[in-house]
Amino acid sequence: MVSKRFLLKRLLLLVPVLFGVATLVFAILHLAPGDPARIIVGQRASAEQLQQVRTELGLNDPLWVQYVRFLTDAATFQFGDSYQIAKGTPVREVVSETLPVTIELALFGQFFGLALGIPLGVVSAVKQDTLTDHATRIGALTGISVPIYWSGPLLILFLSTYLGWFPASGRIGSTIFLDENWQLLGTELPLTGLVTVDTLLLGNVDAFLSAVTHLLLPSLVIGIYSMALISRMMRSSMLEVIRQDYIRTARAKGQGARITVLKHGFRNALIPVVTVVGIQFGSLLGGAVLTETVFGIAGIGTMLVEAIGATDYPLVQGTVLTFALLFTLVNLGVDVTYSYLDPRIEQ
Amino acid sequence: MSTDTDTDVDARSRGLVARLRASPFLSELLSNRLALAGLTIILAMLVTAVVARVTLSYDALTASRLGGTIPDRAPPGWIGPAATDQYLFGTDASARDIFRRSAYGAWLALKFGTVVVGVSTLAGVSLGIIAAYYGDVADNVVMRTMDVLLAFPSLLLALAIVAIFGNGLWKATIALIMVYTPRFARVVRGAALAVLEDEYIEATEALGASDPRVLIRHVFPNTLAPITVQSTLNFGLAIIDLAALSFLGFGASGAAPSWGLMLSRGVENGLLTGKWWMSFFPGMLLALTVLGFNLLGDGMRDALDPRMRDAVD
Repeated sequence: MVSKRFLLKRLLLLVPVLFGVATLVFAILHLAPGDPARIIVGQRASAEQLQQVRTELGLNDPLWVQYVRFLTDAATFQFGDSYQIAKGTPVREVVSETLPVTIELALFGQFFGLALGIPLGVVSAVKQDTLTDHATRIGALTGISVPIYWSGPLLILFLSTYLGWFPASGRIGSTIFLDENWQLLGTELPLTGLVTVDTLLLGNVDAFLSAVTHLLLPSLVIGIYSMALISRMMRSSMLEVIRQDYIRTARAKGQGARITVLKHGFRNALIPVVTVVGIQFGSLLGGAVLTETVFGIAGIGTMLVEAIGATDYPLVQGTVLTFALLFTLVNLGVDVTYSYLDPRIEQ
Repeated sequence: MSTDTDTDVDARSRGLVARLRASPFLSELLSNRLALAGLTIILAMLVTAVVARVTLSYDALTASRLGGTIPDRAPPGWIGPAATDQYLFGTDASARDIFRRSAYGAWLALKFGTVVVGVSTLAGVSLGIIAAYYGDVADNVVMRTMDVLLAFPSLLLALAIVAIFGNGLWKATIALIMVYTPRFARVVRGAALAVLEDEYIEATEALGASDPRVLIRHVFPNTLAPITVQSTLNFGLAIIDLAALSFLGFGASGAAPSWGLMLSRGVENGLLTGKWWMSFFPGMLLALTVLGFNLLGDGMRDALDPRMRDAVD
């Protein structure tokens, strides 16, 4: 059981962190070189036009006024309009369109990480110091050493270009399932934004399968990294648990090795893995930036990279803050889950 | 090693060897074959880097050689036409030798990796020890700032800082120093807090030792072990992150022989039409180097963790 006091303390600790995060995001616009107003109006605009835009954006106000305004705006997620990438579109809209894409990728990646990492870790622990164990450990270390931006393009070349098993880029077979506005056929508005869920909601099985095959390769690439960390954590946690007295007791009572490992060992060994899954989510988000770039997926990661390249500061601020918020909330969730699973942690 | 009276062996160095041999950490580490493999990879990369730095001219490596006798995008000599067989890794889109450029890439990766890890270790150690020793306000100011930096996924924070400072290899390095410092600060603060509990610190203070003396002579040496592990593991990550920033276009630029940049140019210049060697080889060296640091760091962690040591017995 999670006590109210623990939850409250954890939430209060969030306040200074979020405050600091917002301040850093505010600093992006004000420390970065170049005049935001100049970026909007372009090099050839007159001085009057420039001044007008500066006034509109409130750039002529004292810094503290701008800071307070930024904080109130950030609290309601108002970052104004994008300067360059999606000129005139509110940042909020751009983020709400691209964020689900990234979340879908991260969730699929985490799924692969767990589905492969947990069994590998258990096998590695049960067969400690055998060939299987060594192979798994070396495999895991290799997995975290190979950069996504290297394995990704090479896998595209071999599995997509040469073997034709997977589509090379995008989220769905575009010409078949999308209209001219890149919206899913049959919908006026994006439903959840998760293409696999939307296609299912529409009952279009072909489109769903297309979406899944598009997601497989990128999420596998991003999932390898999680798999590596999860399997090693699972291994060491499992090794610790199976040395406990209650495991010996269960065995002494005549319970079979397999049942003991699965029923008593596995469940308790999972607890520390929860933390890794949470910490993992951060690098999964970072990995999403690279994976999206490699696979040409229009998520919030590619949006951030483009926005930085084009000095589209409101968009940079919006996307960076979104990433930080998401990461912070996941960490909060992990802490709460962890204390639920292991109440000793609250002390 | 024999312990007989070998006159060639200097008594002092024999003492050192004996001391090292007696250290459970080192003997554990040296008996770990994977850690030794990691160390071998790192040393091989270091030799490659230094040889490349000394023998190759940076200008020659970066200048375009289009229009010469050497074909561009030629596959490695051992699979391609006989005329290009002097190029072990093939040539890139500007007809430059990928082998020499990749070798020089090792120098760039190790150099900038050392700067990132070195500076963030120093900064993290100082901040962590100060936070632990002075507590209260100092602790809160330092650690809450670190919390803010840790609230970003690492590559995202690096990108946000790059958005402020602009592009370039040195700027990317500064961004990564800011990303890595909190990790060291957190580890060191924890280790230092544990040391400060010990009674000998109180005794030293009672004897009138100054703050810097306590911190440098007594607290710092006791945090060395976790720092070394953390530095080794983060060295691999720093190399990957630096190359990632170059890959995304925010780090190395122009024709610099950085692994990340060579990789992204290789992808742009024809990976999908089957010209795999332009991105494969720089990426292979990158992955190998990172694997070396991960193997060594992993072995160090196991050697340090007494629970793991017991588990092996």
